[in-house]
Amino acid sequence: MSAPPERRWGARYFAELYRAQIRQGVAVMLQYRFAMVIWGVWGFVGPLVSLAIWNAASSARGGTIVNAANGASFQRGDFAAYFLTFMVFGHMTMSWDAFEYGWRVRTGGLSPLLLRPVDPIHADAARNVSFKLITSAILLPVWILLAWLLQPTPPESGWSLLLATPALLLAAVMRYVWQYCLAMVAFWTTRVEAIQQLYFTVDAFLGGRVAPLALLPGWLGVLAAWSPFRGMGAFPVELALGRIPAEQIAPAFLAQVGWLVVALLAYRALWRLGLRRYSAVGA
Amino acid sequence: MPQIEVRDLKKTYRVHEREAGASASFRSLFVRKYKAVEAVKGVSFSLDAGERVGFLGPNGAGKTTTLKMLAGLLYPDGGEAEVLGHVPWRRERNYLQRISLVMGNRNQLVWDLPAMDSFLVNQAVYQIPETAFRETLDELVALLDLTPLLKKQVRSLSLGERMKCELAAALLHRPDVLFLDEPTLGVDITMQGRIREFVASYNQKYGATVLLTSHYMADVTALCRRVIVIHHGQLLYDGELESLAARIAPFKLVQLELADAAAAARVEQFAEVLERQDTRVKLRVPRGEASLVVARILSELPIVDLTVQDPPIEEVIDQVFQGNAEVTA
Repeated sequence: MSAPPERRWGARYFAELYRAQIRQGVAVMLQYRFAMVIWGVWGFVGPLVSLAIWNAASSARGGTIVNAANGASFQRGDFAAYFLTFMVFGHMTMSWDAFEYGWRVRTGGLSPLLLRPVDPIHADAARNVSFKLITSAILLPVWILLAWLLQPTPPESGWSLLLATPALLLAAVMRYVWQYCLAMVAFWTTRVEAIQQLYFTVDAFLGGRVAPLALLPGWLGVLAAWSPFRGMGAFPVELALGRIPAEQIAPAFLAQVGWLVVALLAYRALWRLGLRRYSAVGA
Repeated sequence: MPQIEVRDLKKTYRVHEREAGASASFRSLFVRKYKAVEAVKGVSFSLDAGERVGFLGPNGAGKTTTLKMLAGLLYPDGGEAEVLGHVPWRRERNYLQRISLVMGNRNQLVWDLPAMDSFLVNQAVYQIPETAFRETLDELVALLDLTPLLKKQVRSLSLGERMKCELAAALLHRPDVLFLDEPTLGVDITMQGRIREFVASYNQKYGATVLLTSHYMADVTALCRRVIVIHHGQLLYDGELESLAARIAPFKLVQLELADAAAAARVEQFAEVLERQDTRVKLRVPRGEASLVVARILSELPIVDLTVQDPPIEEVIDQVFQGNAEVTA
């Protein structure tokens, strides 16, 4: 037996790995054309429902809703802009691994991935990107149609959109790693889906999917501002729409980075401890 | 120097237990009973580079648990192991890069796509250079006759076809150590033969070390001169397959064809009769007395034909698994 060839596990390796995995993910998605449409449509429903509710509420109050505590005000066009942006950003940051991890751990489906010399999170992240690439193609024309119908208030400057791009990327990575931390709970309880449902609900409120955070009651708004959910949801949306005062932008970015670091550390710890538990459930 | 070294390896599972029925379900909401199941109780063995060893034991003996610990899937509760100079459960990339575990009941291939798509992902995962990838793939395609399968969705393949593709996927990176857990599970006899031939040729060509579990003794007899027998998590035997019968079964089988039926009726005075059909008789003779008994039979009975054999390996193994035999390694 000859000496094993030297392997390098640097950026080039991961770029090649992601390229191959994304290509495979796209191929799998294309096998299920109808499911792809359903998943794409699912992305519109939540923000559209929220938009309909807030439109009804604003109509009942003469077209404008004002939060007396902080002076924030939203009109129909503002709601349309907020929820249409949320529709796209929410889609770009969505993640569902915790829903599948319980099954993987219960059935031992994780084992083949564990045999590879690379952490399974990379295969899952590549699959997530494949999903977004494919479903975005469905989302985009529908989004354009909705924007034409709903007449959202445009952002005051194009700079805000540019600034929102890194915020969106950070939000996507943040949400992904937080979700993955939640997925790791599957090593301790085989019904992680129930916890995921709870997480999803809290995220909907504190992340701005149900209502713009500026319209939340005082204490809930404070809680949302300090939670990691804002950075994963409302912050890039508010930034894109130019609704964040300049002096609050840098601290919000820092909060995103901070929560991401916390999530990465938590993930490493949970992964290591979880692997030790894996056997207990049936590798 | 051994390539796989296992010392006093232990693994205990904590299993939730409850009675059947709704009331037991409700009770288990508040009070849960757990039972410790010792799957592996201090197993030790070693394998040299290039060896092909059969790992035998009945269901629940601890074979798969041991393989999973050696492949880095499970953490042990005690003991040590070193494979290719690595501690498996540290899961170092340079270790996982050099091994493969094929499980007859698990798939690594993507169900919805042709196997070739999974092979291409493995090329990236294991950093296989293009030339080496094409070379190994061509070889695997030829050895396993994969050409007609490569473009079919994995879910539309038969069990045997899928297993051939699984083997190819597991070997594309040319692992130095190959753990095979029931690789012929559920596949027909022709395909079993093909898989055996393939494993033997891979082992010979690349000098890979192979540790194989199978419930089909034909796999073991065809591939392994050495076997390790494990039962209730403990090692019962480690040695030549041929010597296993001598250690476990303290008897030989003597088959006789006698000149007449009357003579056949008299064989009982020489040894225990297992079967009798007209002039044909099968006897069980204590191993130490075999030559003496055979000599007496030859001198006192009209013999047409006589053979002395070890009992079939399946019977011997079955005896161990049933707990009717004691073995010393």
